Amino acid sequence: MCFSYEGRQTIQDVNLDLKAGTLTALVGPNGAGKSTLLHLLQGRLSGTKGHVDCQCEIALMPQRAAIDWSFPITVKQMVKLGQSCRANHANILSIDEALERVGMVEMASRRLSRLSGGQQQRVLLARALMQQTGVLLLDEPCSAIDPPTREHLLTVMRQQAKEGQTLLVSSHDWGRALDSYDQVIVLDQRVLASGTPQQVREKLTDLTCTMGSTCCD
Amino acid sequence: MIDPNFWWLTPLLLALLIGLICPTTGALLITQRRILLANLMAHSVLPGLVLALAFELDPTIGGLISGLIGALLAEKLNQQFKGREEAAMNTVLAGFTALGVLLVPLLQARVDLETILFGDLLAANSADLIRTCIATAALSVLLLSRYEDLVFIGIDPDGAIAAKRPVNQIRFLAIVITALVVISAITAVGIVLVIALLCAPVLVHIEASSSLRSLMLRSAATGLLLCGSGMTIAMVADLPPGPLIGVLCVVLLLAKSTASQWNPSN
Repeated sequence: MCFSYEGRQTIQDVNLDLKAGTLTALVGPNGAGKSTLLHLLQGRLSGTKGHVDCQCEIALMPQRAAIDWSFPITVKQMVKLGQSCRANHANILSIDEALERVGMVEMASRRLSRLSGGQQQRVLLARALMQQTGVLLLDEPCSAIDPPTREHLLTVMRQQAKEGQTLLVSSHDWGRALDSYDQVIVLDQRVLASGTPQQVREKLTDLTCTMGSTCCD
Repeated sequence: MIDPNFWWLTPLLLALLIGLICPTTGALLITQRRILLANLMAHSVLPGLVLALAFELDPTIGGLISGLIGALLAEKLNQQFKGREEAAMNTVLAGFTALGVLLVPLLQARVDLETILFGDLLAANSADLIRTCIATAALSVLLLSRYEDLVFIGIDPDGAIAAKRPVNQIRFLAIVITALVVISAITAVGIVLVIALLCAPVLVHIEASSSLRSLMLRSAATGLLLCGSGMTIAMVADLPPGPLIGVLCVVLLLAKSTASQWNPSN
């Protein structure tokens, strides 16, 4: 796929092949085009070239900044919005089940603005789970949250992959966190490397030279 | 024919209806971060009102068209001045107000600018009441038929678009209804003061409400109380009701702020 914005090509000939039931990390520096690529895959943006070949529905869990967290809404109402996005009404996951998966059942009647950042991310994930799509794209779900919450989110994502859902997760994490994923794709407007975490790590030396040392720990 | 002894009935009914619909609309606009657009529209109706009155046409139609032109112009400028939308919108607001004021001497229109700017509730007639009933009905239909979409658009507009909700159509409808509500409220509080009635009751309840519905109901109840008491005090003390309601809005907000400082859990 290719995508241009204001005359600048921000996605250049990206070709991805995601295997069903896998958890894939999409990593890269700021401005690499990770969010743009996710928006292209979900259909929120139209590419200048290329297409998405997918037999199932694709859901997107947006970045924190896309949500108005001060809106007067309870956790349960927020998760219910995911239900109304769903095109396929078969195999319906209940709101309570979605909240249970992310460990937020006790908070169901609490107002969204009264939750911590990590709890809010879990609610956003529950809303995405409600859509029950074959592919779930997550735009930096682990940003600005504490390590235990990050671990919890990764556990939920792994569980979803085990159940057959295909997940693509954009992230800034370059360290050991990559080992939690089946596949890693390194993006900087084009795909610089892809493969298992081990294969990508082996290429890290070259990537450090290409992308700057701040990207890699 | 209304008994002359009950002349106050129409202004009181109008005040109560305005007290209900202004904060309800305000709740919708504040949660969608479009309250500046409402203020812009309140001022943008002025040229249309003056033109309609000068040519002896229905002021609702004139005000509605003018308000919509102002809103659409602001939306267009917002796209050009991304990140500086407030400056663009305030400029349009000032421009339309100025145009309205200029049209009065230019057309030698028999328009009482003071009444349009600050309201004259005591002079309300049955046409004002009918206009407000139409605005109330339109607002009710929007809320009853599109409540979930309004919540979705408020909390995650991009998500609502991705979920193939008719976001643009709903936003346009909301703009039209806002214009209707604002024009209805002009008799009560005028185009300058309507913003207080749109905002104050909502700000008092926004932190304690757990849903948009609850926020709208609480705000409407408070608006009803504000307009009812404002109208009553104005009649007893022989004061203009519009400015009095405007002052009561600020007093309410200050009281809420003081109460919150004493009891932060509120």
